[in-house]
Amino acid sequence: MELIINLLINGLATGMLIFLLAAGLTLIFGLMDVLNFAHGGLFAWGAFSGVWFYGLTNSFTIAIIGAILTGAVLGFITEKIIIKPVYGNHIQQILITLGFMIVLSEMLKVVFGPNQIAAKTPPLLSGSWEIGDVIIIKYRLFIIVVGFLVFGVFQFILKRTKIGLIVRAGVMNKEMVQALGINIKQVFLYVFMVGAALAALGGALMAPYSGVVYAEMGMEFAILAFIVVVIGGMGSFPGSLLAAILVGLAGSFMAYYVPALSLAVNMMLMAIVLIFRPQGLFTAKG
Amino acid sequence: MMSILLKVENVQTHIGQYHILQGVSFEAKEGQVSVLLGRNGAGKTTTLKTIMGLTPATSGTIHFQDKEITKQATHHIASSGIGYVPEDQGIFGALTVEENLKVAMRKEDDAALARQEYVLELFPDLKKYWKKDGGHLSGGQKQMLSMARAFINDSKLLLIDEPSKGLAPVVIEKVMEAIVEMKKQTTIILVEQNFIMASRIGDTYTLIDDGETVRSGQMSELVQNEELKRQYLGIG
Amino acid sequence: MKNKFQVNNAILLVLVAALAVFPFVSDSRTWTILLTQIFIFSILAMSYDLLLGYTGIVSFGHAMFFGMGAYATAIMLNRLEPTLSVFFLSIAVGMVIAGVISFLIGLLTLRLKSHFFAMLTLAVSGLFLVLAEKWRTLTHGNDGFTFRAPEFFKDRMMFYLLVLACLVLVYFFLRRFVHSPLGRVLIAVRENEQRTKSLGFQTLHYKVIASVVAGVVASLAGSLYAISLRFVNTSVLTMDITLDALLMTIIGGVGTLIGPIIGAGVIELAQHYLSGLAKEHPIFERWIIFFGIIYILAVIFFPKGILGTIQYAFWKQKNKIPKVDVAAPSRKELTK
Repeated sequence: MELIINLLINGLATGMLIFLLAAGLTLIFGLMDVLNFAHGGLFAWGAFSGVWFYGLTNSFTIAIIGAILTGAVLGFITEKIIIKPVYGNHIQQILITLGFMIVLSEMLKVVFGPNQIAAKTPPLLSGSWEIGDVIIIKYRLFIIVVGFLVFGVFQFILKRTKIGLIVRAGVMNKEMVQALGINIKQVFLYVFMVGAALAALGGALMAPYSGVVYAEMGMEFAILAFIVVVIGGMGSFPGSLLAAILVGLAGSFMAYYVPALSLAVNMMLMAIVLIFRPQGLFTAKG
Repeated sequence: MMSILLKVENVQTHIGQYHILQGVSFEAKEGQVSVLLGRNGAGKTTTLKTIMGLTPATSGTIHFQDKEITKQATHHIASSGIGYVPEDQGIFGALTVEENLKVAMRKEDDAALARQEYVLELFPDLKKYWKKDGGHLSGGQKQMLSMARAFINDSKLLLIDEPSKGLAPVVIEKVMEAIVEMKKQTTIILVEQNFIMASRIGDTYTLIDDGETVRSGQMSELVQNEELKRQYLGIG
Repeated sequence: MKNKFQVNNAILLVLVAALAVFPFVSDSRTWTILLTQIFIFSILAMSYDLLLGYTGIVSFGHAMFFGMGAYATAIMLNRLEPTLSVFFLSIAVGMVIAGVISFLIGLLTLRLKSHFFAMLTLAVSGLFLVLAEKWRTLTHGNDGFTFRAPEFFKDRMMFYLLVLACLVLVYFFLRRFVHSPLGRVLIAVRENEQRTKSLGFQTLHYKVIASVVAGVVASLAGSLYAISLRFVNTSVLTMDITLDALLMTIIGGVGTLIGPIIGAGVIELAQHYLSGLAKEHPIFERWIIFFGIIYILAVIFFPKGILGTIQYAFWKQKNKIPKVDVAAPSRKELTK
């Protein structure tokens, strides 16, 4: 029983981190029709900058805020320089975002050095609770709470605010949104920045969870996020949460029971979804 | 004296490698309903899209309220006071009727809310299905929602693309009544295949054939010109 | 036109001949090894360009075919005996496996839209990487294993010549391929798939053929690569290999065959020299960053790459001349 609960918590925590990455990816894809292969780079930058800010200030709150800002700034630069010139051209987008991914992860090595860096868990969130036989690691629970919180806040924004309505409308029909007098390019930029900030938040939360940060973590997690976006349906925000949890849980249970297949299972799941239901399990378009 | 609200002069539009509009010119006078007529594929829809900046003109000029809008971005054109009702109505399927209107409302002031009241009186169905998803409305309701949405921003000019398409005669009647009602407050450019409807509510007409303006004039004159109708509209 | 073709061929022939005698006149081991490496990656990059440049398909899984060739050769030479015949057999085996796998993957995935395809190839090649890492009895995972190359290749020069011969053969084969009616269809697919379809071509079939040919050629490159190192580990299946092919193709010139060769030369030489400069300043250890930036600029401003841009400039200049010629006689006529 405790094993199952622990696997459940592990899976949920990993799922939430993937969700933070996938949420931005899916919104950016749904709204802008851009698949950002550099998204993992933003995640890794979030992780490194989080560790750096934490080392500098010794405040985990500042570390998180710093990482989010780093992500937003990088998102701004990415949209302006990398994405904007190639709107509408899928092949160029794929090529250029992948190229930017290389630059982002090499830049990490230039700025922070080529070796992996240890990441500490803040004291307040270290340790664990024992409830009966079950040991719950505080930090993992913290990630899960943050994940649900982010989901709740964004769900509220998307459902209840004007900008959220515009984003959802834009996912469905960009032309019409423009014809209603809304500057969709501006909306693109905001969404891109927010998506990048979410990825960076995911990275910053990931750092103490895995204990180390390294440049390649971006691509590793990005692959999981792509899988999630495909399974959850491109552009579907709730879909990305459900799929992320699914992928997280599958990973955690498989890693315990059939370790050889843990990564393979997710990829096969994505391949099956892509081949038989390319629009994903959930769809954003009405 | 009715002033000219929109003036389209010798507009040419390319989409990809296709030369769709090859010289379209016409005017829309304030407070009137100007109807664009022509066969399928003649370029009527593209004309509206070009006015909206969705398929920008490659040459020629478009003036709205004496200001040139030819090269402007779609959202600028829209916010300068042109409402657009596309052929497929462009309803946001997963948003409710209320949300569809809310997205469109640029300013949520008293005037906007008053206009919302007005369109809801005009289209009581929308009030009835206020919380229903746009995607679940009937074709006629979608048409009404799209028209309401275009009207809600104090638009000086409405571009309405084939409102009667695919609708039952009873519903067409309702839509027509609404257009006549809206005409009291705004100017309308209408693309319409249904000549009976077009001739009943149109003040002026512009005939477009193969991407070119063939002729413009008073609707009453076209109604009597059997030759013109047969040649360009295949009726009569 | 015929003339230009012959001139081009003559230049190529001279170049190849010069490269062939190179190891006999220079005894720089470094250069021989470096050139061998360039030739191998040229083969890989050309195969990649068949997809990217000629058919307009972005695959992020090209490393898997490279890896298949590398593993086929390494495993067979290790398990059987290190002879030339086993070596050639292993190349054939690698090619068959790569061909079959790319056929199956292509059939299933090439109907998808471009970014889905890119993502799926990324995932499938990820699967092969995981497979190679876990199937340790066969691959020794990330640690890899060394093996003995055939006696014949003890002489670096022989191997150099073999790789050069492969490069030339692959080049002429691919040139024939892209200039064949089939190759024309591929270019039509790149330009406008919908239109090609409406002209009655089963574009999926053509795309599958392109991906099979690309996979088979990449596998050959992998086999040669394994021999050149006499060692193989899972790095041959990683994204890095695909990225190399991508960088070389984009920087050298998309949609040409010489372009990827130039790209391979530029990247390999840069890697060699720039990482040598790392002693001066650590930034050079991150030499790839420069290429990342050049690559991005190339995608935005020179989508045709080094070669394509030069070719285009020449083409523009050439096309100006006949215009003048046409204008000239009319003026003469007027004065008459």
